[in-house]
Amino acid sequence: MRSPTGESLQRLRIFLSNLPASAYIFIMFYVSIGILIAISFTVPRKYVVEWSFTLENYVRIFTDPRFLSPILNTFLIVTVATILLIIVGFPIAYYLARVNPNLGIKLIFFLIIPVEVNYLIRVYAWRNILGENGFLNSLLLSLGIIDKPLSFLFYSWFAVVIVLIHEWLPYVVIPFYVNLVGIPRQLYEAAMDLGANRWQIFTSITLPLVKPAVLTVLFIVFIPSLGEFAIPSLVGGESGIMLGVLIDRYLSDFRLAFGAALSFILLLVTMGLSILMIKIFGYEALYQR
Amino acid sequence: MAKSADVILKVDRVSKRFGETWALRDVSLDVYRGELLVLLGPSGSGKSTLLRIIAGLETATSGRLYMEGVDITDLPPYKRDTSMVFQHLALFPHMTVYENVAYGLKIRGVPKEEIDRRVDEVLSLVRIRELRDRKVTKLSGGQQQRVAIARSLILRPKILLLDEPLGALDLKLRKELHIELKRLHEEVGNTWIFVTHDQEEALTLADRIGVMNEGRLIQVGEKWDVYDYPKTRFVAEFIGETNMFTVSIDDVSGGVATGSWKGFRVSFKDGGFRPGETIYLSVRPENLHISKEPPAGEEYNVFHGVVDVEVFRGSYVIYHIRLDNGEIIRVTVLSKDAEFDPGDRVYVYWRFDKGVPLRE
Repeated sequence: MRSPTGESLQRLRIFLSNLPASAYIFIMFYVSIGILIAISFTVPRKYVVEWSFTLENYVRIFTDPRFLSPILNTFLIVTVATILLIIVGFPIAYYLARVNPNLGIKLIFFLIIPVEVNYLIRVYAWRNILGENGFLNSLLLSLGIIDKPLSFLFYSWFAVVIVLIHEWLPYVVIPFYVNLVGIPRQLYEAAMDLGANRWQIFTSITLPLVKPAVLTVLFIVFIPSLGEFAIPSLVGGESGIMLGVLIDRYLSDFRLAFGAALSFILLLVTMGLSILMIKIFGYEALYQR
Repeated sequence: MAKSADVILKVDRVSKRFGETWALRDVSLDVYRGELLVLLGPSGSGKSTLLRIIAGLETATSGRLYMEGVDITDLPPYKRDTSMVFQHLALFPHMTVYENVAYGLKIRGVPKEEIDRRVDEVLSLVRIRELRDRKVTKLSGGQQQRVAIARSLILRPKILLLDEPLGALDLKLRKELHIELKRLHEEVGNTWIFVTHDQEEALTLADRIGVMNEGRLIQVGEKWDVYDYPKTRFVAEFIGETNMFTVSIDDVSGGVATGSWKGFRVSFKDGGFRPGETIYLSVRPENLHISKEPPAGEEYNVFHGVVDVEVFRGSYVIYHIRLDNGEIIRVTVLSKDAEFDPGDRVYVYWRFDKGVPLRE
């Protein structure tokens, strides 16, 4: 019999030291998701789980427009919010990357502070601005621009997009900032020397080289937002309904099988999208230019 | 290689200030059509700044630039007939070799067929035609070097500017590329200005060398002249090896000045010196001779000492000789003539006219 070599001993040590964390993740994450998936294939009954296999939940979800429209709504809201986030966030990051580095870092600090404010407080702040008796409506009324409060501002699709943008802006600016700062100045100089004007430099050098930031934003903003439930349930109303809200409704109504099926669909979709994005952009885009 | 007085670029009293420091002080320089001029100097000497001003990437604080007689001082880089090969090459990492090289033509809206033809032409010139469709990030350092040069050459610039383009490469590859660059320069026939801090690189590549230090252009001339007749101590010590003696002159007569250096008598060619003056005498190690017998003849300065260290360099040997006054001087001898051992008592001597007296 061979005595254990140094290498296998080393491997054992690594295995043992990783065991607690791995076990934790396995039990809390994979096992619970496994249970969730199992429940999604059971007969829809309130309060109890009846362990018999059926596809009934899924069939209903895919045939009943009451479920399909929130699913589409979710994609529409998050896509619009992500596009607007990039449109708003990229110029900020571009500016921060161009000013002198000390100022840039300080400004980023100011960008992060609002994120540290409690979630609910921020949502309520938006209610005060966008609500029926909120700041914006009062202002427009008193200026005589409108004669009754605009209702689409709050408890709406619009409100969800606005609050999502507020919520995620730093997470868009920072990846773009880091990405832009990492592009060597000499590349711009070389392009200029070869005859490019500012616009040509921007489109031919800057934009292609911020691909990693775009991918990062898709991963840390777009995908997690698909599961967003607090913002739409607090400010979304019926037009701003999202999949997360629907799941919450069924689960808090103890219709577990149905909620589980919706959750599993969301999980499959986000996984599918992640794989698709990696296929399109390439794995390297995440860590190298 | 044209060596006429046909000036393609005139740098007229250019200065550049960054905040409180002067990167360039009153630099004037004529660049001749078709030559390969090397700007040589230690880091911070202002050579790169001068190159960037010529490219239009920096603006001069004062002074003017003329290209073929036309004032180009205020023109942006893309309106100048120059192109720059950058220190870290600055290849566009998201593009292939083809896309990098075609960039300048594409920006100018040149038709696709002509771009294709000229890319092929220039890639053949730098001998990397087979790499046309590779990603530049997948190339070796030497190949990237060629792409960077091709990217500039395709625009057929009147002046090609190269800012320490070989800096990141290892010594062996650099030496290969030196020869390659020489060939390329002859073949293309345009004017090159090459910046480096490596004196060996400068001597290998240059037609003429301009030596810079602390923002000043100290000396510019044919490389042999700069090597043999440096104008200052800095130039003598920066280009090649030298022995430097501080001599107080006590006699000037018949075109020969004589003085003393730490107990030894030294004579050299008079350069309008007066007795009482102190000058620096530069003598290259290869102009010194060693022998066990004193040399015959009056035309030599002769020192006496002991061989201290022998440094074997392959084709030649450097002897460090400890002179009787305690100073060490270096002598280069071809290996086939290197017949001395540490401890040997020897005479070290050189012809009067091989020492270069310098005032500063």
